[in-house]
Amino acid sequence: MLSDDAALVALTKLAFGPDAESLTRVRRDGLAAWLDAQARPDEATDAPGHAALARVRLRIRYPADPDHQQWPATDEARPLALLAAGPDRLWPLNDKQQPYADPERNRPRQEVAAATIARAVSSRWQLREVMVDFWHNHFNVNGAGERAVGVLLPPHDREAVRPQALGNFRALLEAVASSPAMLVYLNNRSSRAGAPNENFARELFELHTMGRDAYLAAEHLHWRDVPGARQGNPRGYVDEDVYEAARAFTGWSISDGAVIAGRDRLGTTGQFTYVAAWHDNYQKRVLAEEYDPYAPPQGDGRRVLDRLARHPATARHVCTRLAERLVGTPVPPALLDRAIKTWTAGIAAPDQIYRTVRAIALAPEFTPSFGRKVKRPLELAASFVRASGIELGVTEGLVGELDGSGQRLFGWGPPTGHPEDVDYWLSANAARRRVSLIVGLADNAWGAGKLPVAAMFGQPRLPAGDALRRVEAQLLPGAALPDRTAAVLSPLGLDAGHQLDAEDPKARRLVAAVGLYPEFQLR
Amino acid sequence: MMPTPHRRDILRALAATGALAASPKLAFAGPAQGAARDLMVVVFQRGACDGLNFVGPAADPFYVEARPAELRVTEGDERPGIPLANGLDDKAGFHLHPEAAGLGDLYRGGQLAILHAVGLTTPSRSHFVAQDMMDKGVAREADIGRVPDGWLARLAAPHMTDGALFAAGSSPSLPLSYAGLPGAVAVPDVNAAAGLPGGPVMRQILGNIYPAGDGGTVPSAMRRMLDASLLLDARIDHLPDGKPAPYERAARYESAGEAGRALMAVARLARLDVGLELAAVDVGGWDTHEGQPGRFGTLTGQLSRALTAFWDDLGSRQATTTVIVMTEFGRRFRANRSNGTDHGRGGAMMVLGSTVRGGRMYGRWPGLGPDQLEDGVDLKVTTDYRAVLAEVLARRWSPADAARAFPGFASSDPSLGLIA
Repeated sequence: MLSDDAALVALTKLAFGPDAESLTRVRRDGLAAWLDAQARPDEATDAPGHAALARVRLRIRYPADPDHQQWPATDEARPLALLAAGPDRLWPLNDKQQPYADPERNRPRQEVAAATIARAVSSRWQLREVMVDFWHNHFNVNGAGERAVGVLLPPHDREAVRPQALGNFRALLEAVASSPAMLVYLNNRSSRAGAPNENFARELFELHTMGRDAYLAAEHLHWRDVPGARQGNPRGYVDEDVYEAARAFTGWSISDGAVIAGRDRLGTTGQFTYVAAWHDNYQKRVLAEEYDPYAPPQGDGRRVLDRLARHPATARHVCTRLAERLVGTPVPPALLDRAIKTWTAGIAAPDQIYRTVRAIALAPEFTPSFGRKVKRPLELAASFVRASGIELGVTEGLVGELDGSGQRLFGWGPPTGHPEDVDYWLSANAARRRVSLIVGLADNAWGAGKLPVAAMFGQPRLPAGDALRRVEAQLLPGAALPDRTAAVLSPLGLDAGHQLDAEDPKARRLVAAVGLYPEFQLR
Repeated sequence: MMPTPHRRDILRALAATGALAASPKLAFAGPAQGAARDLMVVVFQRGACDGLNFVGPAADPFYVEARPAELRVTEGDERPGIPLANGLDDKAGFHLHPEAAGLGDLYRGGQLAILHAVGLTTPSRSHFVAQDMMDKGVAREADIGRVPDGWLARLAAPHMTDGALFAAGSSPSLPLSYAGLPGAVAVPDVNAAAGLPGGPVMRQILGNIYPAGDGGTVPSAMRRMLDASLLLDARIDHLPDGKPAPYERAARYESAGEAGRALMAVARLARLDVGLELAAVDVGGWDTHEGQPGRFGTLTGQLSRALTAFWDDLGSRQATTTVIVMTEFGRRFRANRSNGTDHGRGGAMMVLGSTVRGGRMYGRWPGLGPDQLEDGVDLKVTTDYRAVLAEVLARRWSPADAARAFPGFASSDPSLGLIA
């Protein structure tokens, strides 16, 4: 049986915090059993997740179309409607000719963000939700910038990222590389033979696969000078590899109505399409491998993905990113080695990513790493809701608060994704937003669910000192805490023996205070 | 000026007694009065601003041939650029982007200097490597890992005034250039930063949970936030209902975008006299691989209007403020087929200030002919970005400050002569 601390650590790092049920399970069955039960998430058995999605209400409000009476004034608290939508329903939201008010056009991103919060709090498949969050960050797209990216987020989340979040990296890589949201975001949709757009190819190397440590431009100008290149195993990549890879991906595009040539146009379905006329057919050389001219459709690009997915630099880079996320920086070398070995051994396995996460989670360095990371706002909010037992119905107010907290779900600009480093999440601004997030949740400021104080207290009223200890035990089970009785109670004008009513606003302040303890900020 | 008690003691006392409704303004006599140093504002165009679209040699035939008109600055087109006197090369006919009218005025007025072909002396076409090198103030990629702190942090460290808001960023988070400077504070919105959700009771609880001097990452961060919040709340004006009064700015930041919001926060902090001497402003969106003309024009116009409004807003603090505008690299000389530009090398930089010898361009123009480009594709870097920063610092702060910010850097070029 795991110690209390180990269960708390595991659920804080591999889930969005413990709730009563998961804590019992990990303590009873052990971490390995909990992990294995999380390995193959079955959508059909996720009743709590579905219920949480059904509780989402996002208010949408806009005046009637002032010019053409194309839409009536609208003001309603609308449930999720676009999560399952295909590009046929979504792509027209990007079309200025279509009669939609702006809030309707912004709806897809808002819904995906709301669903992400709801699932983080309530889904049974917590490990998948943690990994979906990780991959969305790893393969960042910005749905708050170009509208075309925003409207394509539901299929991007549903079809490109979720199915392989615990699956195989090569499969995930191609799903993302051919996801219309990514093709718009990193501009590959407009990349054409002659003067290709290098944006996607560069970030594919630098962020998605081999990583910046493998970018050797400072030492080498030409591919053949890279160590190992002449033997066909270059240790890293240079600009020439990026240029060649950009050529390989020319023609990977989306049906956005662009002119192919002359009067020939692409359709307007918003779906992936390969435009042979834009592809650079001639021979190429990527990472010291010769590509023959005139490959079959998508052949060049797929070959680049094959090569990158199997490159040792990719194993090191992606495993490092994973370990930084789940364990902390600097990554313990032995743990990283173990992760890389598992990753490489499972390179063709359908659960390569799960195996790697499992290796990290069961490494001896895992539990002692508790507290090396700071919770992100989503993790802070979700863990507070899960531990306190708020029945969360996500609202637009909560989505907006999270946007302002520094964690802009599906709205981060640069392709790096949100930073991993602690300083970012603790800037003075971010620290203040932690307070507003927790105080707002405790006060139900966004109408997303009432804090069940009486249930937390276990009775309608009890002495304030006992109340504080009960709340501490629920939010931080098994954690050793200093005595903060006076620190919390005296500003509230309470002493430890005062009978505190669960309905008293001071009781909510007391719960919020525990949510703002330093220990509750850590992962 | 009344004798100033130790500011942190005041803050601590305030936090402990909860005497927040009282107006403690008099206790906060300004630490910045008579400061020996300029307020240094560093604006970073994140994503690599296309220097050749910002300031271009409109008459250079190579330039005209390599790019469609909407991706360069033109002399006599429908939307002609703004001609720049004292350019780097008389024949090249340097012009500023037509959206940058305000910057053109500052240039003509002699307060704005423009540099070109500036950047990192070692090549990197990765945004994140190049930005990290510049934020750390180094010139080699290998030094990113070796140098722990950012150049702004090294610059500020010995001057940090206890209890003053010496160094700030006006983006939601601080850039890497501040890494290693725990006292720096991100203040994207002054009024928001002055308040605290949950009111005075929550402030007191947090003050108790996070006592001053408590170590650890979270406690020191929360403490900094609380201190900054108290300091700002004591300094700003309040409405009769106790809410923070809106900022009474001396200039209109109209259509100035993200840059305008950020610079307005800096101007306000400068005018509040909270001890601000260093500010970092990040402006994103410059990574224009696709559809560059519209996006670039919008960003350039916003930046130009933001800087102009900021400068007006400063009023009497103009005399002791210097603004530096930089980016990680320029963009590819030739356009791609997405009507955009890919990652390049040499870029443009600007320095704005009352003591700047403006109205002229600085640097050495390498030319854009096939044999003059770096690796055959990009504008060469002929001036190390550190030469610009070090010179401004040496003259407006001190040579020791410049040496500390950029250790080991010795410019091989003679002084640029940027500062009068």
